[in-house]
Amino acid sequence: MNELRPTPSNTVPTETPDVAAGPDDLDLVARSQAGDTSAFNELVTRYRNRAYAMIYNMVRNEQDAWDLAQDGFLKAWKSINRFRGQSSFYTWLYRILMNVTIDSLRRKQIEGGTEFDDQIGLHNIAPGAATAPKSEMAPAERISDKEIRQRIDEAIAKLSPEHRTAIVMREIDGLEYTEIAEQMGCSLGTVMSRLFYARKKLQVLLKDVYETI
Amino acid sequence: MKPFEEQFTAWVDGKLTGAELAEFEKQLAEHPEAATEKEDALKLGKLLRAHPTAPALGNADFFNHQLMQRIAAETPKPVEKKSTFFWSLPRLAWAGAFCLVITFVLFETIIPGGAKHIDKSNYFAQVVESWPGNPNVSASTVYSADDNVTVVWLDGLDYIPATYALNK
Repeated sequence: MNELRPTPSNTVPTETPDVAAGPDDLDLVARSQAGDTSAFNELVTRYRNRAYAMIYNMVRNEQDAWDLAQDGFLKAWKSINRFRGQSSFYTWLYRILMNVTIDSLRRKQIEGGTEFDDQIGLHNIAPGAATAPKSEMAPAERISDKEIRQRIDEAIAKLSPEHRTAIVMREIDGLEYTEIAEQMGCSLGTVMSRLFYARKKLQVLLKDVYETI
Repeated sequence: MKPFEEQFTAWVDGKLTGAELAEFEKQLAEHPEAATEKEDALKLGKLLRAHPTAPALGNADFFNHQLMQRIAAETPKPVEKKSTFFWSLPRLAWAGAFCLVITFVLFETIIPGGAKHIDKSNYFAQVVESWPGNPNVSASTVYSADDNVTVVWLDGLDYIPATYALNK
């Protein structure tokens, strides 16, 4: 565990590397494969924000996201010689980070006895049925950005690791079904099914939010 | 045929095309709420993308520093490359010197001292046995180291022939 806590809390863009200029990723990877830690440090600098944001979207906790990003980059360093350049470095890194995060979520689920019951609130929703609006908030009530983010955090936290991963990869990281299937090690059909139920549950939990903004 | 959930997801994301799309849209006739569902799903996606909840990585430099420390701690230090040729020149020199010392010590301790001090002989031959042709004659030899001479003493000879002489 690190001694310094991450400081809160501006949102970050997730589409671009932190440092656009400088040597090509593949050059840095080649140098890293030769044992040059400074080259790997440069790669970390480029992708640390994206990695952290992606993991945060999964775990919804800053400290956990920090630790898992550290573990993910360390794992990437240890396996850097296995990178063959068949995909971009970030795609390769993304898979490692996602695996580390999913493993952690599953461990927590087992250790903490947490049950992610994706059927909660869905038991009476048939495929194709209209989602029911959340009743606590009046339609005309406006919600602040902070509240919206909090509601989204809470809603995503209620999904199982698998459904959370699928929805984050698709809606936030913008991955295609095939990429999600590859990253998660499951079939396309499973990805689409997970997306279906994840969306359904989030629609139940967040309908009042997206209807009022 | 794909289950409804899979087709519905693909339809929401615009991934259904051609005959598959036409077939699914026929099924949707039985689900009048499907259009609203699709609209909701799209709104949800828009909401999630418009409100990224991930905070910025604070203390980013410390993040790198901590990671590099972990990498350094877990990376084994390179081992010095050893020469594959065991008998290098210095080793050969030392081994030669060692062998000489061992030989000298063995020579000094194992070989008896007397054998090392053999006196040089002052003569080339020594008479150790003699016998005369006449049984009445006895012969003996005496060696005098001081005079460096060997004497052959013959008893019982009547005379020594004039032609017989000993040369010193």
